[in-house]
Amino acid sequence: MASGAAALSASPSALASSTELVSLLVVLTELAMLRALLARTQVRLYCLQSAGLAALAATAAATQHVGELWALVGLTVALKVLAVPWLLSRTLLHTDSSAGAHRRLDPAATLPAVVACALAGLLLARHLPLRPASFPPFALGLATVVVLVAFLIAIVHSDMVSQAVAFFSLENGVSMLGLAVADRLPLLVEVGLAFDLLVAVVALAVVMRVHHRRTRTLSADLLARLRG
Amino acid sequence: MAAPGAARTAKAADGLYARWRDVEVALVASGLAPAAVQVLQVLVVLGLSPLVSGFGSRVEARLQGRRGPRLAQPYYDLAKLFRKQTLVPEGASWAFAAGPVVAFSCYLVVPLLIPVLTSYPLPLGYMGDILGGGFLLALASFCVSVAAAETGDPYAQLGSSRAMTFGALIEPSILFVAFTVSLVTATDLPYAEAAAARHSAAQALRPAHLLAALAFFLVVLNDTGRIPVESQGSTVEFGMIEEARTFEHSGPLLALLRWGAAMKQMILYVILLDVFAAPWGLAGSGRPVPVLAAVGALVAKALALSAVFAVVDNSFSKLRLLKLTEFMAAAFVLAFLAVVSLFLGAG
Repeated sequence: MASGAAALSASPSALASSTELVSLLVVLTELAMLRALLARTQVRLYCLQSAGLAALAATAAATQHVGELWALVGLTVALKVLAVPWLLSRTLLHTDSSAGAHRRLDPAATLPAVVACALAGLLLARHLPLRPASFPPFALGLATVVVLVAFLIAIVHSDMVSQAVAFFSLENGVSMLGLAVADRLPLLVEVGLAFDLLVAVVALAVVMRVHHRRTRTLSADLLARLRG
Repeated sequence: MAAPGAARTAKAADGLYARWRDVEVALVASGLAPAAVQVLQVLVVLGLSPLVSGFGSRVEARLQGRRGPRLAQPYYDLAKLFRKQTLVPEGASWAFAAGPVVAFSCYLVVPLLIPVLTSYPLPLGYMGDILGGGFLLALASFCVSVAAAETGDPYAQLGSSRAMTFGALIEPSILFVAFTVSLVTATDLPYAEAAAARHSAAQALRPAHLLAALAFFLVVLNDTGRIPVESQGSTVEFGMIEEARTFEHSGPLLALLRWGAAMKQMILYVILLDVFAAPWGLAGSGRPVPVLAAVGALVAKALALSAVFAVVDNSFSKLRLLKLTEFMAAAFVLAFLAVVSLFLGAG
């Protein structure tokens, strides 16, 4: 345990502090997505989370003086803050299915899972052989937590919109990691990820519409009938 | 043999205490005696808590499009109740009358332990740490519950049963907030956490501090009967907790319970403001002017926080009673993340 004096002297720099704060916001939106019952709320939270990611990229762009990073900010805002949430909202509107999501796990069971994800994410990041110069280690851990909690959202929520949001937020977590570990070529990494995201958005939108047309619901539970 | 880290921690803590002791000695010579300031802390919480409560009710009424009660209405209510006769249910033992008195005494002791007006610990501030304050609040709640259960009234027993059950569920979050304070400051004195937050903006904005503050905000929301399941003063039995416990009390005993509830709210506001969220505006010396300025700052901060709570209360729909665990789980996750971030991420 650090002493009081040591804790006071170890105050992080303003840049690291702001990066940690925005990363914290991203994690909190991820946790709120896990708790949210309405798919529409999850879409809004995804929009907020993506704005946080854009802020992280903007902070890095302003401090590292890398022009490419501003393109990354623009790409993130255009795609993740505006286009994807708009498309998901339209899908919800079109299918008229903004009803409450079905949960596979109750809160009592979800709590230890969240705790395990947080512990695993922070421990994993601590033992990764990565020491990014411009990204505080704690933010690296938070990015890992985002990825793990995104998996948990996909497990807990059984409707397709929630699972799509989980996948997109997972991509946000991976983007955060990319921003941290590939600070010299973030645009290249992000363009690759964004291409994956675009394909996923198109594929998932088609799947959602077809599934809704056939079953009149967005619940993924019915897909279990395809087994065997 | 003690570890070097532990020795450094003990040395730093001793140095901190020594500095505070020096400040106290200087204060006696320069201004109000620390004991007088400490009594003033209790009087401020005692005297201003109904005002903060009345302001919250007023803001809430305005948000709902109503005119609302006067700001001083809680004072009039207390005066009226103190003039009335006390009725004791048949078969109730001495615990019925003792419960409200003991609870009120607990609420009078807690302001001695927390930074209400000063940024430095006063003599009795060493009497108990942040857990000690928590134990006193829990003891007060226990006494009120026992007094309510004594009446035999089903509503009062329902309220006391719910209060004890949900009190136990929120305990882990409070404990983890206390752990965060201990990890950040190497002490469990609330004054030290406030001093760490005042030390620099980076300290005030560090993730562990923010997460602990957010978790404590949720705890206060729950403990002041705002959300998630009840409304302040509501008598709808589906979500009724606090109001049900006072159903059978009347006269001065009911006045003590109402005043105690207002004091508890004020104490929680003070901890949230002066330890976590806004530990600024506190007096750095015992001179009358800074102390009076601290009283003014505390009133302004408490009224602003009361308005924030009223807005939050009116912005979110109430949950079903059994959904309360989700709310508490959210508070626990935030507090847990605060502790874990300090251990694993230097947050």
